[in-house]
Amino acid sequence: MSFFDSLSIAASGLQAERTRMDVTSENLANAQTTSGANGLPYQRQEVVLEQVGGNSFGTTLAGAMSNSAPPGGVEVAGIVNDPTPDQLVYDPGHPGANKQGYVSMPNVNPVTEMTDLIDESDSYQADVTAMSTAKTMFSKTLDLLK
Amino acid sequence: MSLLDATQNALVAAMRGSEMQQTVLTNNLANTDTPGFQPASVNFQSTLASAMQAGQSPTSVTFTPQTEANVSTADGNGVNAEQTSADLASNGLLYEDLTSVAAQREQILISAIGTG
Repeated sequence: MSFFDSLSIAASGLQAERTRMDVTSENLANAQTTSGANGLPYQRQEVVLEQVGGNSFGTTLAGAMSNSAPPGGVEVAGIVNDPTPDQLVYDPGHPGANKQGYVSMPNVNPVTEMTDLIDESDSYQADVTAMSTAKTMFSKTLDLLK
Repeated sequence: MSLLDATQNALVAAMRGSEMQQTVLTNNLANTDTPGFQPASVNFQSTLASAMQAGQSPTSVTFTPQTEANVSTADGNGVNAEQTSADLASNGLLYEDLTSVAAQREQILISAIGTG
């Protein structure tokens, strides 16, 4: 373990949170998209995160060599579709309306997206703080040699 | 006799522990949104204290992160981001204390040698 582990772990957190923010923005931007790439309403997307080094070769080797495997941070396991059904909105004038006058709107709730955005930005800030603490500690170590 | 005394070695060992704690806490913070993740921490002070009470040299003490099982959210994630941030800040300050004390002691040593 070294300080550079701290920095790279914090960086992995930043990257993961930024991906989540990207996906949240995509969801918000497509909140009214009734005709996506496949002709169907846009499906809300969600980022699934996982811990790095669950059972990778490097971690297993490190675990076998010493007692503790160093933690490796976080990574994006995948971006999955939210299976929640589309919302039906009564709008007979809409070109995508069915015979009864209902339009299938994306399963995106702007309120959920906004709260997600707050959560993501808070986590991002926490990672930035962790990174700057690690940096301060590192420079203090260098000061030992002065 | 070694140039560095037991206190200096203990300070270096504590710095090692604090550094590991920093890495582990950063990892907790990076995994605040990972489903099923359980946070860990390094209780290096008590490990070091009990090792030194048992007469072990601080240079040979090894620290290991301990997983804390405390599920707090519906997705099985046990990270408390606020608590972890506070722990990170206090660990950083503790590390600064350790380095400044170690640096002062080294300065004294350098003065004694006559090169300072």
